[in-house]
Amino acid sequence: MTHFFKPLLAAATLCATAITTPTATLADEWTPPGPITMYVGFAAGGGADTQARLIAQGLEEKFGWTVIPQQAPGNSGLNLAAELAKAPADGTAIGMVVSETLSYSSQAAGDPAFDYENFTSLATTAEFQLGLVAMANGNFDSWDKVMGAAEAGTPIRFAAASDRHADMAWHLGQQVGIDFNIVEVRGGKGVMDGLRGGDVDIGWVAGAQSGPVQQGEMVNIARGIESPLANSPDAPMITELGSDYLLDGYFMFIAPGDLDPAAREALGEAIRDVAEDSETDANGLLSKAFGGPAVRTGDDLDSYMTKANAEAAELIKAVSE
Amino acid sequence: MTDLLNYIGLGIMAVLNGPALFEIGGIGLPVALVMLAAGLFTGIAVGATPGLAGPMAMAISLPLLISAFGFTPDALLPVFAFLIGIMKGATLGGAVPAILFNLPGTPDAMMTTLDGHPMARNGQPRRALRIAQLSSVAGDSFSDIVLFVCAPFLAVVVESYLDLPEKTALLILSISFIAAVMGASVGKGLLSVGLGLIVAYIASGNDLTPRLTMGFDALDAGVPLIAAILGVLIVGEIFATLETLWRNNRALDVKTETHGTAQDGLAPGDLKRITPVVVRGALIGTVIGALPGVGSTLAATLSYSLGARRARRIAGAQPFGSGAPEGIAATEAANSAVSGANLIPVLSLGIPGNAAAVFLILAADSIGGFNPGPAVFAMPEGETNPQLVVAFGIFTLMAIGNLLNWTVGGAVMRSMSVLARVPATRLLPVVLLVSLTAIYVQETSMFAVWATLAFGVLGYGMRRLAVPVLPFVIAFILAGPLERSAREAFSATGADPWFLFSSPTSVILLLMAVAALIFLGRDG
Amino acid sequence: MRHPSFRLTPSRALGAVVLVLAVLALLVWVPNDTASGYVVSKRGRVSIGDAMAPALAFGLLALSGLLILWETRNFDAPGQSDRRGPALLAVMLGICAAALTVMIWAGPLAVALLNPDETYRNLRDAAPWKHIGFVVGGTGLVTGLITLVEHRYSWAALAIGLATVLVLIGAFDLAFDDLLLPPNGDQ
Repeated sequence: MTHFFKPLLAAATLCATAITTPTATLADEWTPPGPITMYVGFAAGGGADTQARLIAQGLEEKFGWTVIPQQAPGNSGLNLAAELAKAPADGTAIGMVVSETLSYSSQAAGDPAFDYENFTSLATTAEFQLGLVAMANGNFDSWDKVMGAAEAGTPIRFAAASDRHADMAWHLGQQVGIDFNIVEVRGGKGVMDGLRGGDVDIGWVAGAQSGPVQQGEMVNIARGIESPLANSPDAPMITELGSDYLLDGYFMFIAPGDLDPAAREALGEAIRDVAEDSETDANGLLSKAFGGPAVRTGDDLDSYMTKANAEAAELIKAVSE
Repeated sequence: MTDLLNYIGLGIMAVLNGPALFEIGGIGLPVALVMLAAGLFTGIAVGATPGLAGPMAMAISLPLLISAFGFTPDALLPVFAFLIGIMKGATLGGAVPAILFNLPGTPDAMMTTLDGHPMARNGQPRRALRIAQLSSVAGDSFSDIVLFVCAPFLAVVVESYLDLPEKTALLILSISFIAAVMGASVGKGLLSVGLGLIVAYIASGNDLTPRLTMGFDALDAGVPLIAAILGVLIVGEIFATLETLWRNNRALDVKTETHGTAQDGLAPGDLKRITPVVVRGALIGTVIGALPGVGSTLAATLSYSLGARRARRIAGAQPFGSGAPEGIAATEAANSAVSGANLIPVLSLGIPGNAAAVFLILAADSIGGFNPGPAVFAMPEGETNPQLVVAFGIFTLMAIGNLLNWTVGGAVMRSMSVLARVPATRLLPVVLLVSLTAIYVQETSMFAVWATLAFGVLGYGMRRLAVPVLPFVIAFILAGPLERSAREAFSATGADPWFLFSSPTSVILLLMAVAALIFLGRDG
Repeated sequence: MRHPSFRLTPSRALGAVVLVLAVLALLVWVPNDTASGYVVSKRGRVSIGDAMAPALAFGLLALSGLLILWETRNFDAPGQSDRRGPALLAVMLGICAAALTVMIWAGPLAVALLNPDETYRNLRDAAPWKHIGFVVGGTGLVTGLITLVEHRYSWAALAIGLATVLVLIGAFDLAFDDLLLPPNGDQ
């Protein structure tokens, strides 16, 4: 009855589930009471949106749940958080944002309703491959050249795609004594378009640069995360250049606050199952474009969020001084 | 040069070697080509139906296309193919009811009724349709060729000579130009632009607390783009037309029947008669089309009145208005030549000049992976620019579309004449429900539907007060790029408050913007 | 000679209203509904704030109001004194609003009456519940508007409405797994 009008898809899904889920997982103990709405905090069509939709598809195929992706972009993920706060906390409403949404952005917005403790963190999927990017063979294709240009008095245009990125650009400049002209642009794509058109000189990109870097068009002159970048293992960490903070973060799924622990565990593990299973399309995309899956759930994730929030508070304080 | 040829080859291959939809006789039919033909026939049908127009069909099909093809870069060419097909088909189809029933199927076909219908009444409807088809396709093809040559060139010039401040100035120039040339008064053009900017600025700022929402949570993500555009353009038009129909009690359905005679069809010497007129019309249409916002109605009027004046001077020429083939040709060549040239500012600068271009930009925006603007035509070293491949794919589709129009367009046109009988009183409510549903499916929020109705009321009011609606839509689309480029230019110049006057180029562009408002507006 | 500008034509009224509203917005709305003002100073540098673009846009709007008044200073065509247009628009909007309201509530009402153990939210992707609101409201919208414009009710109008709804269900709901018809995405 439920799927009366979708016999083909539903039948295919049900058969697939019946055949491929012999192992009892934690997710078996909890099933969603209805279709799950998966809010996606990114513009339709981008890499992050595709990632979310492939995870939705994986959840449907592996667990037989109905997952309906729905766009809720804008305002650094806070629009999604506001939407989620109104939804029932029964596991039928989840959303994909970045960890920055519930750390830096929620604090910068100054609205306590967006505090990360008012939401349930389910699982991360991938870590930012954040690099400081410049055009290859240009005037800024190494950190030494950037420093050299600054000493020669050349104004340097530094592109940033979010307030946190802009703050970090300013912070890095303060630490090394360069007065960057910080240009806020739209998304990693905006940074790369600016680099190509010569409108900006360097900029933060959180993973979208991997193609151009592989093809030798652009270079990562530094990295904002702890582990080496997949494409540029030699790029130095920004803390080695003088920054006090890293510019790390994750793509992650969240749910409304006070979610039933069983639902939290089931959803988190289900997302892990999909992201880490090399058979799924989601895993293929994560490996190809996001430096591989990086799943953190439960207490591990909570402790990361606590740490990220503490660092965000420090950064915001440092910048406003 | 070899790079360029490479890209052209890649573009053609992207269309022809794309995934096959189905096979005929062992040969796979590429999905983009199938979509192009489907769009073309839909477009001719839509154009042939009084009360429907190309943009309306593009608006309604866009959400369906996006749902069908998804948000991957692979979706770009099939979706563009369908939309371009509609665009090309509708210009052709608009002539059908104009000629057969004295009813312009699309606003551009207004002038086609003047000679097309008399010729049909004289017993030669097929001849009139054939002349309309040939002139229309000739104008369209010419204009496309100009597009293929000019757009890459213009984009490269813009990208290499314009820095952030000049880009801001260029956007200001386009917006003021549109305000000046559309509609009867500069004041009302600016009003439309101002409203478009303000609506676009709701909740679109940089701050994490959204601006201008008046405390409504529903506005936190801003006004849904598709709700504002379809509301003003489509729903407003539906309300206004329904009112006219209600007043006239179906007066629009009164038609004059025409019947063909034995000597119907292209007469000997027709081609020679219309060739010079077509050439002139194509030139006029192309030049006018390349300017954002001027529109095909002006091109058709200009071309027709020039032709009429010449016909009066030449002794023995058939006077316009009596069913002269030159009259049909002058109009159709000019209004069709607008559509290709209109894409020059779209592809090279990201500035839409008419409603069809608005929906192409909307499609690119929704799917992602193709951002109309100078970056499209960049040729980075050592890397293939996928956007450029898409651009040449679009050119390929346009060329094939013209080929289809040349060959089968005429037959399709004739077969669509039955559509001119569909009563608009029944069609428009259906179009309204389809539009609202399409908007809901894309936005999944009832708020977007209510917003669409509200913008429909705005669009209705603007039409009743003679405020042009297209500047609203174009300003709405350009508002974001304008604010962003101004912010970027300001930051990049190290917070120079006079950044707009920092270079001669940008000062010249700004002066041109002011001049457009002062000199172009008066006689509009 | 009487000065012609004493007559309040629609264009003059429009110019005046636009001017007043734009000035009000500049003085009240923009300053009170933007977080960062015209220019912001952060990270040791001045940048353009969120109020700048709206303020310039409202300035443009005020200018347009002035221009409209200026353009109509000597002559302006009087508008039609017919009030039937706005009245008809109100009726059309009334039909739309009623149809959409039915669309939103018909489904939940049916669930409450016929399947009280479940919530509509959990059935929002289950036939026939998910179709009830759209079928009733959508058919009502089309039929109502046709009836209004044709000045009479006809069974054809009802059939057209129903056919449209069914085609739309086929085009969006049956063909695509992830699309929700109105009003199911708001549940």
